[in-house]
Amino acid sequence: MVTTKVMDLEAQVWDALATVPDPEIPAVSVVDMGMIREVVITGSQARIVVLPTFTGCPALPIIKSDVAKAVRALDGVDDVKVDVSFTPPWTSDRITADGRKKLEEFGLAPPTGTGPVLVTQIGLPKSAICPFCGSKDTHNENPFGPTPCRALYYCNACRNPFEQFKPV
Amino acid sequence: MSDSLVALLTGLADDELVLGHRHSEWTGFAPHLEEDVAFSSIAQDEIGHAAAYYSLLAELTGDDADRLALGRDKNEYRNAILCERPNGEWAYTLVRHWLYDHADALRLEALENSADANLAALATKIRREERYHLIHAESWMKRVSRGPVEGRTRLADAVGRAFPETLGLFEPFELEEDAVKQGWLPVPSDELQARFFSEVRAALDTFGLPTEIHTHAAARAEFVASSSGDLISEGDSATTETAGSEDALGGRKGRHTEDFASLWDAMTTQYRAHPGARW
Repeated sequence: MVTTKVMDLEAQVWDALATVPDPEIPAVSVVDMGMIREVVITGSQARIVVLPTFTGCPALPIIKSDVAKAVRALDGVDDVKVDVSFTPPWTSDRITADGRKKLEEFGLAPPTGTGPVLVTQIGLPKSAICPFCGSKDTHNENPFGPTPCRALYYCNACRNPFEQFKPV
Repeated sequence: MSDSLVALLTGLADDELVLGHRHSEWTGFAPHLEEDVAFSSIAQDEIGHAAAYYSLLAELTGDDADRLALGRDKNEYRNAILCERPNGEWAYTLVRHWLYDHADALRLEALENSADANLAALATKIRREERYHLIHAESWMKRVSRGPVEGRTRLADAVGRAFPETLGLFEPFELEEDAVKQGWLPVPSDELQARFFSEVRAALDTFGLPTEIHTHAAARAEFVASSSGDLISEGDSATTETAGSEDALGGRKGRHTEDFASLWDAMTTQYRAHPGARW
């Protein structure tokens, strides 16, 4: 059955992608982050469409090459094509429930909100939930941080600085 | 390939690259650590946006994105002059950042409906990221304008210098008429400028900062007042008073100031020293 084979291969590609870490947050995979828009299998060719979290993310070339490498290693794949797209724009609600949990365990507060935020309403919450002690008694110190996707917060309860993945 | 789309993208890319470069000059030097982080991050965003625009250009023209960014002569850049001005003091940096990001937000909002699907998608993404720049700029404008008099005075001086030069952001680029006709740029520059003035003036007013533009510098550079009729011309006596401010316009035509010459020199040193280098 050709269809079954294609579906099998597609599932294998998704499984392989689930092992590719975000280079800047190795606790989560590119699948957890919702960065994979689609996987298209044509014969033995796999085409993967990646949505960058932030346009200027310097990790993008690494992600592309890691994705290609992981998929190329699969039996039945002879050719891999990795395309970058901005359609739809990556939004922070694409991070999976599993991904959010892993971010928290990594010490990074997941972005707040569930659905995609309207562009005019994008902004930082006054307080984020501290990934260390769970307190909401926190405040924003800086809308920017060590990477384009993170903001800096401080927890008034456990007195730890922490980072939040920006809602976007 | 459409020449007017290339012209539009070149202006967008060059604005972001050149202002991004200026912002990056605060890395290691900002007045406090959090702002060092903020300006470094904003610079990274702007240069990343420029890289995305250059990639679109490279696809259209068959050129190379790095060469477009760093391998052109000075008069081939189409950034507004406002973007090339030195950072000067902190107040000027903040005011320019605030003005530029307001203008950029309006431009991006319009470009979300561009007839070029790639540009429309990119603008939609970039606009979401740029919200954080606006939030940052806005919070500083509020904070300093409500603070002690020295800060307010410095902000007012900076508005006096930077606001007139925003005219250069809306200077029609070469082939703009065609770009509007083709739908690449769905809202013409003069309309964007009118939106910008009404928005920014209202905000400056709430900050207690000057809301009027003295266009003496721009008037000399064949500036035509927009239909809003808001511009104040200082007439002949003012045309002699251009020392230090040169012209606000000309950037979209490749005419730059001495400030750009030194920026270009620093920004392209590495590229010129090692042509074709990869890392």
